[in-house]
Amino acid sequence: MIAKVVAVAWREFSSTVLTKAFVIGAFIIPGLAAAAIPLIVKFTNQAKAPVLAGTVAVIDHSGSLADRIREQLSPEGLARQAAEGSAEIQKHLAELGGGDVSNYMNDPMVQGMIAQAFGQPPNLSVEVLPAETEPESVQSRLKPVEADKPDALLALAVIAPDAVDKAEGAEEFGGYQLFVRGKTDDRNIDHIRTGVRRAILDKRYAEAGVDGKQLSALTTVASGRPQEITDSGEARSSTAELNIMLPFGFMILLMMSVMVGGQYLLTTTIEEKSSRVVEVLLSAVSPMQLMTGKIIGQMVVGLVLLSVYASVGAATLSAFALLDLLSIDKIIFMLIYFVLAYFIIASLMAAIGSSVNELREAQSLMGPVMMVIMLPYFFWLPISRDPNSTLSLVLSMTPPMSPFAMMVRITSTEPPPMWQILLSIGLTAAAAYLCVWLAAKVFRVGLLMYGKPPNFKTLIRWVRMA
Amino acid sequence: MGDAIIIEGVTKTFGPKVAVRDMHLRVPDGGLYGFIGPNGAGKTTTIRMIMSILFPDAGRLSVLGKSSAVESKDQIGYLPEERGVYKKMRVGAFLRFMGRLKGVDGPDVDRRVRDWLERVSLADCYKKRCDELSKGMQQKVQFIASVLHEPQLIILDEPFSGLDPVNMRLLRDLILEQHNAGRTVIFSTHVMHQAEQLCDHIVMINQGAKVLDATLEEIRARHDPRTIVFEPANAAGADAVASIPGVRAVSHLGGLHEVSLEEGVNPSDVMRRIVETLPIIRVELRRPTLEDVFIEIVQRGDGVPAGVDESQLRAALRDGAAQTAGAAQ
Repeated sequence: MIAKVVAVAWREFSSTVLTKAFVIGAFIIPGLAAAAIPLIVKFTNQAKAPVLAGTVAVIDHSGSLADRIREQLSPEGLARQAAEGSAEIQKHLAELGGGDVSNYMNDPMVQGMIAQAFGQPPNLSVEVLPAETEPESVQSRLKPVEADKPDALLALAVIAPDAVDKAEGAEEFGGYQLFVRGKTDDRNIDHIRTGVRRAILDKRYAEAGVDGKQLSALTTVASGRPQEITDSGEARSSTAELNIMLPFGFMILLMMSVMVGGQYLLTTTIEEKSSRVVEVLLSAVSPMQLMTGKIIGQMVVGLVLLSVYASVGAATLSAFALLDLLSIDKIIFMLIYFVLAYFIIASLMAAIGSSVNELREAQSLMGPVMMVIMLPYFFWLPISRDPNSTLSLVLSMTPPMSPFAMMVRITSTEPPPMWQILLSIGLTAAAAYLCVWLAAKVFRVGLLMYGKPPNFKTLIRWVRMA
Repeated sequence: MGDAIIIEGVTKTFGPKVAVRDMHLRVPDGGLYGFIGPNGAGKTTTIRMIMSILFPDAGRLSVLGKSSAVESKDQIGYLPEERGVYKKMRVGAFLRFMGRLKGVDGPDVDRRVRDWLERVSLADCYKKRCDELSKGMQQKVQFIASVLHEPQLIILDEPFSGLDPVNMRLLRDLILEQHNAGRTVIFSTHVMHQAEQLCDHIVMINQGAKVLDATLEEIRARHDPRTIVFEPANAAGADAVASIPGVRAVSHLGGLHEVSLEEGVNPSDVMRRIVETLPIIRVELRRPTLEDVFIEIVQRGDGVPAGVDESQLRAALRDGAAQTAGAAQ
């Protein structure tokens, strides 16, 4: 008897996994995608846009900024701007990643990405127009169609009269208005804006007798990354972002492996039915043996996927030295909940697959099952933020959402008490048993029923019949 | 010698439709039984109940001495009417899988699979995918799947449908070989002459009830020849035959005319009258075919649906035969 179940399970597994489609879909495409990311970055870095050259016209109503703007937009000024921007990023990264990131910063890839973000500094010349020039009279020189003419402009900055000296009785300074040629790269616009802004600031600091460097020092407060104190008393960088992402990762992994196994089960069952091989099988095995074999076979498929993707996830965590976020008990609970969730979904899929004639007809019956699987997806954020709320408690006790909800709770920062986990496992196991029992009845009747696809009423009648 | 199959008072209904009604049947060990009857008569339902794929609403079944085929599945070979193969699986792998499901294991399976493929001249298909095979070739593969485990009881539901004459003969020989090896064989067909060529015992089913259960000799002895076949030299005068006393109906198929007689009429009298009436190339008294017997039983019995006359019944039976012939081309 067992040998037959094993034979069915092995066929199910091998005909699913040992196919080109599976290997390509499950491993090669994600692998290629992962491998392609650095390549794409590299290519986009190499494909640098040509350095933009052009003239920036300035109408300076304040009358004192022309030289400073000229200096800021000169090649030296723009290079300084880029270096400072890069230093800024380094500071942010250091705060996020918690540690020295200078190693990363020298990595050509990271350098490339930063260069990509800022773009190549443009090659600018500055043309100062008389203050009485009407901006409207110059704007035609900004048209993209005029770009090739010798008097074409890239941008026009109109500085307000009170940009440096506040107007009488005013609280705030004036600013500037920038006009740019249409379809200009936003990074080039940023370079010009930053240049003009700095020219104005410099002049204001000088007028106010403030040292710019000192001001910057005064307004910067260095703060390390928040340090968590663990049970063992050591301090480590807080993983607040990961506290939300880790449960999400576990939940997605669980959902995906359950869904893939269930989906394959549905397809192979429908295939057996529509190719009429099912009655040949039933002459050798009982419907229950057939269903058991199929469910087990696809469970192994789900497990293969689960372990492959989980090891990728673990490898990623260990690359960031965060492997200690995983623990044996989390992995064990993951496996338990995988089996339970899988049995619920798979038995529903087997019932649906056995009762329809083709995949198309399964769609209407699949709807409710998909809903059930997708529900926890909408709840993971509230659950992971507040793992011990009433909502979290109820969801983690209610099959069929319970495996996903409880997995989020277990991997959250405040794991639930053990009795809740055990209760949830017990309730889910009972539900799984019920599902398999019901599915076996539908399966047995449905397999040999051809014709009109059933609705839920018919399915219930079949359960009574069997 | 015991009975391979005992069916006692079995009834099966699907909703309002009675598929099988109070069926009683015994198939002795080593018998070669043909289930015949038109489409929808209840043959497949009966077979599915024997196989414990369906369960009777009333009555009792015994298969190979067990109360249910579930307990003796490995001793039964079954070729269902609704049959198929895994399209993407290779022929050899499919047959090995089926063998394993039937309890044949180890290196033995592979040897048997290759032997059988050789015998049905599909040896080069071992590594082919099932969907590369024609329907007829798939059918031979399915037949192998049903006999691979050397079962004591072989049940074949419409085994000849879709086969060309060469393969039909091959399959007939294989079935006879199984029968000669002492195995019990049951097959169903709606094409009566196939049963006539092969079986030693006929079970006729119509509208869910068994209407005949006898050996071919018994049937022939019991049913007088009541059909005269003649070929007129000139087709124009053939209609005159219809007015000969004792002739119930005349039908013609091509150049041949069939005369069915009324009850109690002496066939030789009518034959003489035909010869006297018009020039004849050939005239003969035909032995009743199973088709004739079937029609006679149906018309005599109370199971005749109103408004169905003989020619319609014959057409229905031949329709199936014509389909088979058409598929073979």
